[in-house]
Amino acid sequence: MDDVATRRKWDDASRTMDFFDFADDRRLGPPRQRLFAKARGTTLMVGAGTGNDFKFFPPGLFVVAIDISPKMLERAALKTPQHAGTITLYEMDVCNLDFADGSFETVITACTFCSVPRPAAGLRELHRVLKPGGRLLMFEHVRSRIGPIGVLLDLMTPLSQRFGPALNRDTVGNVRTAGFRVTRVENVYLDIIKTIEAEREDPPQR
Amino acid sequence: MLFALGDYGFGALVGIVTTLAVRLLVEPGMDMVVAMLLGMAAGMVLHLILGFLAAPLLGMFQTMIPAAFIGMYGGMLFGMRDSMNAGSTTLGAAVLVGAAFGVLVVLALKVYDAALRGVAFDAGR
Repeated sequence: MDDVATRRKWDDASRTMDFFDFADDRRLGPPRQRLFAKARGTTLMVGAGTGNDFKFFPPGLFVVAIDISPKMLERAALKTPQHAGTITLYEMDVCNLDFADGSFETVITACTFCSVPRPAAGLRELHRVLKPGGRLLMFEHVRSRIGPIGVLLDLMTPLSQRFGPALNRDTVGNVRTAGFRVTRVENVYLDIIKTIEAEREDPPQR
Repeated sequence: MLFALGDYGFGALVGIVTTLAVRLLVEPGMDMVVAMLLGMAAGMVLHLILGFLAAPLLGMFQTMIPAAFIGMYGGMLFGMRDSMNAGSTTLGAAVLVGAAFGVLVVLALKVYDAALRGVAFDAGR
């Protein structure tokens, strides 16, 4: 799927996105809040969506939030006051970030890498824009390793990704492949919804 | 607590609706393979519709995963049973079994979730 098709898909999805927030905020809000509390310094949020996660950021955090969809960003702009800090929004593709190397101390994603068409390329970009020692904090859903549930997610993915995310990504594997050191993985619902913490290691000292 | 009750109620609903759809589609004596595939397909479609309706109240994944399990695997089992005319001869009995299957799947997933939840990997430990 090219960038134009991805943008159009998420522009369309922006109309119904907030429809599902009531229960997800209550059931999955606390683990998101605990994860995002670990953010430090200048923080990049990839996949701002409609800004539903802004309220989970710790106060005072300086956030640069991007999304490929202008319609999502229009809605997200209305929710920036929910964060007691600074949020600047940009329309940008994670696979082609317009930031210099080592610009951020933390990168946050929330249900983003189920939707990026080229996840490995996107994660390599995040590795590039993170400072050495910087942290990647992800709240993501992935393919289950439980046999019958994994099969269900595989079967549903061709349909789900026409309107929204893929359900069978190996995001933990993709994070490692992109060069990060995974430091912590926590299951939030079954082995499908996870928090993933990783860091960009310092270059070896000579 | 309310979410838990909702999860079980929703599981029972998916079980019942799948049961009714399979009973409507599968005749006794129908080829079992066809009946099972038909049951699975019906369950697949129904769980998507019901899941979409319940997700705003119960959460996307907490509805999608149990509903998919009940709809697809339950649909296959109910199709097999109805093609063989093996048990649950009345509609009331079939509905009861469908509801019980739905509740049981939700319970099993909750037990599994409780076992899996928490730290899966920690480089610092």
